[in-house]
Formats: sequence, structure tokens, C-alpha cells
Amino acid sequence: MIEQGPLLERLLAGEFLCAVSDETAFRHLQDETVREQIDAYLRPLNRRLATNTDGNVYFLAWLRIDEAAREQLSRQLSDTVGSLLPMLEWLQLVQETLGRDGLAAPGDVLKPADFSSRCEDHQGLRDRLDRLASDPFFGSQSDQLDAQLKQVFKRLKEHGYLLQPHADRQYYVVTGKIDYLIDLVRFIRDEEHLPIKDQSSSSQQSLL
Amino acid sequence: MSSGDPHALESRLISLGIDRLGLLGRHAETLMAGYARDEVPLEGLSTQALNRLLGARILWRPDEQGGVKLAPKVRELIAEMLADETRRHVNADVAETLELMRSLVQSYREARDAGEYWRQEQQLLRLRQEVDDLNGRFADAIDSLWRRLNSDFGFVSRLGDKIRENERAQKQIVRLLDGLELIKFDELIELVGSDGALRKLLVSGLQQQLTHHYTSLREVQRRLIELMARFRQQQSRSRLVAGMVGFLREHPGFVPGNYARRSEVPELINRAAPIRPAGAVALDHDADARLITELLHCLPRSVSRPEPVTAAGAAEWPEDTRVAARRQALKEDVEGFYLAVVDQDGEGVSALEYLQGSDLDWDEELWLFQVIAEYQALPRSEQRAFRLHRVETEASPFNHLRLIHDVHLRLALPA
Repeated sequence: MIEQGPLLERLLAGEFLCAVSDETAFRHLQDETVREQIDAYLRPLNRRLATNTDGNVYFLAWLRIDEAAREQLSRQLSDTVGSLLPMLEWLQLVQETLGRDGLAAPGDVLKPADFSSRCEDHQGLRDRLDRLASDPFFGSQSDQLDAQLKQVFKRLKEHGYLLQPHADRQYYVVTGKIDYLIDLVRFIRDEEHLPIKDQSSSSQQSLL
Repeated sequence: MSSGDPHALESRLISLGIDRLGLLGRHAETLMAGYARDEVPLEGLSTQALNRLLGARILWRPDEQGGVKLAPKVRELIAEMLADETRRHVNADVAETLELMRSLVQSYREARDAGEYWRQEQQLLRLRQEVDDLNGRFADAIDSLWRRLNSDFGFVSRLGDKIRENERAQKQIVRLLDGLELIKFDELIELVGSDGALRKLLVSGLQQQLTHHYTSLREVQRRLIELMARFRQQQSRSRLVAGMVGFLREHPGFVPGNYARRSEVPELINRAAPIRPAGAVALDHDADARLITELLHCLPRSVSRPEPVTAAGAAEWPEDTRVAARRQALKEDVEGFYLAVVDQDGEGVSALEYLQGSDLDWDEELWLFQVIAEYQALPRSEQRAFRLHRVETEASPFNHLRLIHDVHLRLALPA
């Protein structure tokens, strides 16, 4: 069990582990025996391993949910829901700014410098970034583009959505927590029966 | 028919072909302009040149009033040469080729039976060319498919277009596979009979090549389907996020149900609170002593980071000598008060009365504070020699805040 120490420590600290954030740990977690060992270790702490829909991120869940846990989960959920709009708007902004086919996905590399050069050429993007950065979730006080980007990336790193491989180099890697966020969005849509479609009917037909 | 005629025909065809290929080179700029646009620009093109291009079927005029366009075959040729995937066509019309091959085999047999060797050779050459063409068409189609796949359909920019291009490519594969199905080797074996040259060309050679094409097509098909799944997933995620953003903007007050209060808390919501594991050096474990000593030696010396030093500097007030002198004076005056208490020999003395009675001008609050501080600073043994009584009242009935109005100090005489 001692070799899983660093892994356990990160999980206990509330981190999400994925192939991007810690490839070795993630590979260990693919092994069912390791997962069972970890669960056995976590039992006295009233915790267990949990994963998202596609099984590409691991985190810790309560084993038994008592009143205190419910209290904590409610608070956590309301925080997450509160940060949903700025997070999703950021995802859209990334897609449009960088002219990508899809949303940022785990393993994608993002560089603040790319954003600043695109935003400098494009007033519409610049305005959107300006609005987004001053959202309480990102909480930038500045009106300077570079300072805003710095703050946005810093917050995303704090929240575990981005990883900065080298502290002194300005590039970031998207982690698997993004997938968790998308899963959560899908879950809320399904639970609340929100009128949001993610597939066009024609393309669904041709899939068959 | 004399045997010289075919030779003459051949050389006439060759010279005409060279002439017409030359037309392509001579008008390359105009033709490429026509390739890039809808119509061929006629400026700079003489009537004679235009007529020759039309005669060579390099250009055509769809209707009398309309403009001049590139002939489909020329457009295809250019697309093929440029590997321009937006316009490259995949066309392996197998049925027609098979039909042609059957009739060529028939003519070849007739020539052989009639002993016309030259004609027989010509028929075999044409057959070989047809087989090569058929192979080439499959190879080109497969090459085009791989190129499109490997570039992730990079020649179109929008995801929707990529999905449509992928669908189109998959349909082409199905048509190519259908074409391969049409080639029945039993039938070809029967067709070639015992002729060795034909057998080598139409059975063993062709079979080998077609098997290769078949494997390639299946592979590219598998990869296209995988890529399509990825495209669809990307598309579905983008739509989901766009939909949710739209919904949340329209309903700023939207609050989803509190899933944490359900009897069955959904998996996705159940995220335990973080624990920060802490550890410290265990000094009770002798065995670790050496390790700890080593670690201590390894500690970086004087962690003099610039920020903490400046931070500490700002937090500490520079000791002003005037302030220090006043503080010392206050301390001495309070000591005077304590000596006065000792002199009183067990009689309680009010600190404030002493202050007013003396000619000291200390602030009352400051004075009381220093008296209490002095008492608390005494060593325990000496503290016991005094009794400190606080004259205090409760600030309000709602809390336990007490206000000290005065302190009485007396010597604690042994009973």
C-alpha cells in the first residue's frame, strides 16, 4: 500500500486524477486489485473511489452519506452550479478563439499567448474575455488583457481544470476534470428535463 | 484492312495527343483560373485558341448563352494531380471495365485463332492497360481516402462539413467495395480458359492486387468510422455546452434540484470533502534519529527569500527612542505604585486614586493596562505576594464583555 501513498494523498486532498494529471497513478487505478486495495484503505475514512461516466477521472466519494456529508455535498453542488456559466462560456471562448473543431478536451495544450494575440486582432473576442474575466468566478480586477488571462488561467489551474507542467513556462494542459464537468452538465440537463439537444436528428439517423 | 493502316493511325493519334497536351501547357494559367472559379476567363484567349480548346474537349460550353467551363475529365485530372481532396472524385466503374475486358478477351481470341499476331498483341496491350487503369482507379481512390483521413478532413474548416465529408467518404467506400464484389474470379477463370498470358494478367495478377485493395478499403473504412465517432462526440459536447449556456443566460435564476438531499445521491455528485494529511517528525522513535539528523543537515541554510524579509520589515515598527523612553517611564511609575502598595502594608490601594493623587499625567486606561500587565509579568512567587482586585461591570446583559473601571492592589499578608 505504501507505493500508493502519493496517489492516496492526492485523492484525499480532493484532486481529480486522470491520464493527464498523473499518468502512472491513472494506470494503477485501471487495475481492479489496486482499486480494491485503495477502497479497503479508505473505508475507515468513510471514503471510496469514484469515477465519471466514461471512467477517465477518479476522485473520492463518501462511503456512507450522513447529515454532515449531505450538508457538504449541497454546498459543493451549489458552488459548482454557480461556476457553471462562466466555465462553459470559457470553453466556448477557447473553441472560438483558437478556431477548434470541438471543445477543449483532456490533453489539449493551451497557451495564454495564443489567446492574447487572437484577442488583440478581434474586438468581439476581446470584449467577451473582458466580461468573462471580471465574473466573480474568475475575479479579475484588471482591464489589461494579459493580467486578465493570467487570472483566468490561474483560477482554472486552482480548480484543477488545467495543469501547468512547468511553473515558469506559460503553457497549460487541459485535464480530465473537464470531462467530469461536461458529464455534470449532461446530468443536470437530463434530471431537469432541460430543452437542450446535443445531437441533430438527421445525424442520429445516419449513425444507425 | 492492311497491316500498315493501324500503324499510321497510331502515329496520327500520337502526334494529335502531343499537340493537345501542349494546349494544356500553353493555356495553363487560363485553365487553372477556370479550375479555381466557376467559368474559364476568356480575356487573353483568342477565338482560334478557344476553338482549339473546345475541339480538344478540354473546355466545353454547357449552353449557347452560358460561359465556357473546364471539361469534367480535365477538372478531375487537375484535382488528381494536385491531390485536391475537395474536388477529387472517386470513381471505379467496375461494371463497364468488366464489360470492356470481356470484349477485349473475345477479340484477342479471334486474333489468335486467325493467326494475326500483331492484332493479338494490340488486344493484349489494351487489356493490360484496362487492368492497370482499374487498379489505378482503386489505388487513387484509396490514396484519396487516406489523405482525407490523415488530415482529419482538414480541407474543410467546420465540424459539420467534416461530418458530411466523412459520410461522403464512407459512401464512396461502400461503392468501391460493391465494385470489387462485381469481379468474380470464377467467371474470369472461365473466360481466360487455358491461355497462359491471359491467366497471368486477369487471374493471378489481378487477384493479388484486388485483395490488397480490399484490405486497404476495410482498414480505411474502420478508421473513418472511428473518426466519425470522435467528430460526433465533439459535436455533441459543443452542442450540449452551447445549449446549457443559452439556457442559463435565459434563466439566470435557475437552480437545479438539490441532488445531495435524495435518498440515493447520484454518483456524479458524491465528491467527498478533502482531507489534508499532515505529518511531523517523531522524536520518540530512536531508530529515526539518524535520518532526522541527516535531514536537518540537508535543510537549506538561511531561507532568505526576498518577499518574506520585506513583509516582516513592514510589520515591525521601527523602535523609536522617544517611544522607548516613554514606555520605560511608564514602567518605572507603575513600579513606584507597587512600592507604594508594599508600604501600605496590607491596605488596598486604588490604582486610579494613586494616579490622581500623584502628579503623574498618564492616560487612565494606559495606566490601568500597565498595572495589570506588570502584575501578570511578575514571577509566580512574587505574584502570590499581591492581591489584584478588578473593579468591573458587565457591559451588557447579553454578553460576557466586562469593563474594568479600576484595580485595587494590596499586599497579601500571611494569615
